[in-house]
Amino acid sequence: MKLLRRIGITFLSISLLAACSQSTSSDKSQEGEKIIVGATMLSMQNEFIVNVHDEMEKKAQELGVELITVDAERSALKQIEQVESFIAQKVDVIIMNPCEVEASSPAIAKALAAKIPIINVNSETSTKPSAFVGSDDVESAKIALKFIAEKLNGKGNILMMQGYMGQAAQIKREQGAKEILKDYPGLKIIAQQTAEWDRAKAMSLMENWIQSYGSQVNAVFAQNDEMGLGAVKALTAAGLKNKVIVVSIDAIPDALQAVKKGELDATVFQNAQQQGAKAIETAVKLAKGQPYDKATLIPFQLVTKENLAKFQ
Amino acid sequence: MKNTTNTYFDLAGGSPNLRISGFGRFGIFVAFGLICLALSLITPNFLTWSNLTIVVTQVSINALLAFGVTFVIITGGIDLSLGSMVAVAGVVAASFAHPDTYPVVVPIFMGLLAGVVMGAFNGFVITRSNVPPFIVTLGTMTIGRGLALILSKGRPISNLSDSFNFIGGGQLLGIPMPIFILIILFVICAVLLNKTVLGRYMYAIGGNEQAARASGIPLKKIKMVVYTLCGGLAGIAGILLTSRITTGQPNAGAGFELDAIAAAIIGGTSTSGGTGTMAGALIGALLIGVISNGLDLLNVTSYYQQVVMGVIIIGAVVLDSLNHKK
Amino acid sequence: MTPNQDYILQVRSLTKTFAGIKALNNVQMNLRKGEVHALMGENGAGKSTFMKILSGLETPDSGEIILNGKRLKNTTVREAQQNGISMIHQEILAVPELTVAQNIFLGREPKGWFSGWLDDRRINQEAEKLLTHMGATINVRARMKDLSVAEQQMVEIAKAISNNAQVLIMDEPTSALSHKEVAVLFTLIDELKKNGVAIIYISHKMEEISQLADTITVLRDGSYIGTYPTAELDTHSLINLMVGREIDNLFPDSATEIGNAVIAVKNLSRKDVFTNISFTVHEGEILGIGGLMGAGRTELARAIFGLEQPDSGEISINGQLATITSPQEAIRLGIGYVSEDRKGWGFIPDLSIRHNLTLASLPAHAKGVFVDAKRETDSAHRMIRDLRIKTTGPDQKVSNLSGGNQQKVIIGKVLLAAPSLIIFDEPTRGIDVGAKFEIYKLIRQLAADGVAIVVISSELPELLGLSDQILVLEKGKQTALLSKEEASPEMILRYAMPN
Repeated sequence: MKLLRRIGITFLSISLLAACSQSTSSDKSQEGEKIIVGATMLSMQNEFIVNVHDEMEKKAQELGVELITVDAERSALKQIEQVESFIAQKVDVIIMNPCEVEASSPAIAKALAAKIPIINVNSETSTKPSAFVGSDDVESAKIALKFIAEKLNGKGNILMMQGYMGQAAQIKREQGAKEILKDYPGLKIIAQQTAEWDRAKAMSLMENWIQSYGSQVNAVFAQNDEMGLGAVKALTAAGLKNKVIVVSIDAIPDALQAVKKGELDATVFQNAQQQGAKAIETAVKLAKGQPYDKATLIPFQLVTKENLAKFQ
Repeated sequence: MKNTTNTYFDLAGGSPNLRISGFGRFGIFVAFGLICLALSLITPNFLTWSNLTIVVTQVSINALLAFGVTFVIITGGIDLSLGSMVAVAGVVAASFAHPDTYPVVVPIFMGLLAGVVMGAFNGFVITRSNVPPFIVTLGTMTIGRGLALILSKGRPISNLSDSFNFIGGGQLLGIPMPIFILIILFVICAVLLNKTVLGRYMYAIGGNEQAARASGIPLKKIKMVVYTLCGGLAGIAGILLTSRITTGQPNAGAGFELDAIAAAIIGGTSTSGGTGTMAGALIGALLIGVISNGLDLLNVTSYYQQVVMGVIIIGAVVLDSLNHKK
Repeated sequence: MTPNQDYILQVRSLTKTFAGIKALNNVQMNLRKGEVHALMGENGAGKSTFMKILSGLETPDSGEIILNGKRLKNTTVREAQQNGISMIHQEILAVPELTVAQNIFLGREPKGWFSGWLDDRRINQEAEKLLTHMGATINVRARMKDLSVAEQQMVEIAKAISNNAQVLIMDEPTSALSHKEVAVLFTLIDELKKNGVAIIYISHKMEEISQLADTITVLRDGSYIGTYPTAELDTHSLINLMVGREIDNLFPDSATEIGNAVIAVKNLSRKDVFTNISFTVHEGEILGIGGLMGAGRTELARAIFGLEQPDSGEISINGQLATITSPQEAIRLGIGYVSEDRKGWGFIPDLSIRHNLTLASLPAHAKGVFVDAKRETDSAHRMIRDLRIKTTGPDQKVSNLSGGNQQKVIIGKVLLAAPSLIIFDEPTRGIDVGAKFEIYKLIRQLAADGVAIVVISSELPELLGLSDQILVLEKGKQTALLSKEEASPEMILRYAMPN
């Protein structure tokens, strides 16, 4: 019992500390009818999400909006609790970067029931929010696979590295890939496996794949850049990089660097800046009761060596 | 069957002519041999030089962590902060490893130092307070994760020098560097545990802390050294990981502690302290690595992989305990 | 074979083999109603195995057990209890978190108005009745863990009685009891005898046996040696039967020259534990410390050894004032301590004899940071030989040794650190006579070699037989410092008892 209590206290104090540090960014002048926006983000340990959030902050400052950000640390349960506390704080608008399609949905229902508009940014939930700002993950995979198909002239063997199984991005990117493959009967996925979005895991997985499929592989489709870069590392070490095309999604700085060096053949740019900025703009419109777009879809763009300059 | 066991054992650097006391738990070696045998029969891609070097390279990080945590568990403690220490050491090393900044010894030294400092912090709090190691290192786990994110500002640190990337990605005489590092550290750790006064004191403290104290063994000093040592090994693991993936990732190493503890326990280290060997920890890590490699080779889907992995781990330990009973 | 109606329990040709070794070979025993029957033998003689079979913990390979003219077969503990055989274990097996009453009726709780419903009130009432009848004043609602060892034992006996025990096995029941508590236990045993309960009594304490037992059965190396009426055996011949060889004098003579003062303790105090203790022990001298349990003897030893800190007073070692803050410091100053609690403070069960022996002197067995295996093995062999440790070799685990040999390993560990003062805290507790004698001889030998010795003991013969002077404590106060000539059992008890 004593032990349990100690664990409890430790957790409590840690989460208290975390809570303190995260809310300080909102500590600005409290004058007038300032719009208050509460944002709960999937994970502040994810580079792309951090980028989206940075842009949200920038835009919020520009428009004089007070932005309170909390980190859901990939837990839908935590996210729901955070939305509940936003409701209790009576913020004007909530922005949610959902952890999961289904499990984060109750948060939408709660916010709407409390008559607080809620915006989903980056990914969707099954319950429809007031507005959605983001991109369609299905499309990103379609762009990536089309690139592979063109490069291979519609014929070849593909390995697919999956993200964390069951997450929206993994499901949708897989769906997109499979839709394209239907159009190219000559393209085959000879193996698929999760590397949990992780570079080191992807590297190990690729090393193992090289052992069994070394000479047959024509292309690798990784569902995010981290994994794509891991695959590139393993292929380069095995001296196979020249023979295998690697394409991934997200266009993180490391991936752009790799495209520049010619290691990664292509990545798909998901516009973090626009997602962040549009989310805040939509939030302001909602707060002021102005007309707004129910869905703002920010298109993906293929990044190759040729058009790289635009994205750096 | 015995031959296969020995072959891998050699590759893993667990030189059999290095006499290791407490080598009695053969069950796990048999299980390991059986799994290797089965895999080489099922898939022709398993028993090849290149695949075996790859497995050992992949295992090296977990093995180093398992060595560190074996020291800790033998003294009756536990360290849950391994993964976070890996991340901090990796991020610290990466920030000193950009090309044309410092010579390669600087990032190595700084990464190692980061691990050592965190390990020493664990040791300090554990020996100066009555808080159990489980709780202290649980706290450090979170602290470390936060530190890694602060130091890296939440973003991976890339663009590392070639000489730094050589540590985890280079080869010497056709053998990947991590294997050399693994062999060297295995020998050092095994000798430390079995041949030195310090090692003996570790067993004594874990076997009966009161009796160890009454024998004049400086408990606090030894525990301090053990946690620091564990931190140092985590630091090296962090450098290796960073160099291997050529980026310092603040979220790297999450959950590594569980794999390392699993490897130690599969290898016969008792969670109640007082028993355990480095050879066991190495075999434990290799077992986990071989299973995961084999399942990838066989293209077993990830859902089944997790189930198979769990079943084989439990099976190996059950086999070992049955063997042990006789 | 027809069962003999005189006996409540008859055991015939009982044999039990463990891993090829005969633990029991053709053992027999006849037990009369209402007698106390002592089972004697050295550790390893087969007493425990025999009792485990009787109480249903082990199954014999062959032989028969006849209870009240009925043959018992393959019983479990539960069956043995139902048949009327109960055992009070040396290490008491109770559920510490349950109450006294719940422990007494554990596994056979009186059922309330429908089965499965516990009737706590009834349990408590019956337990209270039982304990009052036994003359014990124990709160039946108290948790087991809050009881003293003596009280826990009472509860175990009560449990046996409530099981209608006809045969009660007591294994070293007094090993953790104070004199007063022993007296209470003996009265209870008398009471049980009057009610026709037969008691099999195992103890290493000779005075207890001569005081309590009607009959003695001796085992040696798993074999039956004989059964004798207590009146016909004196201590000397009993020991010879058990050991199988002549032991002339349990306590070797002291023939030592007293040298310089090794330790001088002046007004040493620790709040609520002991106050104003002063004594001096010289080279070659043995100081005995007597007193009841809880008088502060062990705490005094622990303070000298640096395991606890005194609040005031002085300790001088070889004429130099010393502040001893840790066992490390104590060992460095040449102090050795053999704890009363072997399992808790003595040895590391998973380590070998060799590794245990060198634990307190490892730097002396090392080259730099490395352990010198050769020097270590030499020392281990020397100690095994000198102390006559019965073992398969230096690599045997200490947990596999008998109590006496474990104690020898601990003493060996202390000796290897080359101390000039050794504190023995209950050095022979739970050790059989043969090993006891060897330990006495060893203590004498050490004194003869010029080591200063402190012996803490609850056994008066031991204290009187070994010591050159005796310090008596009563509730932490020093009540007497007697010379060998002045000391007598009555005197020690008088000073040890509260007024």
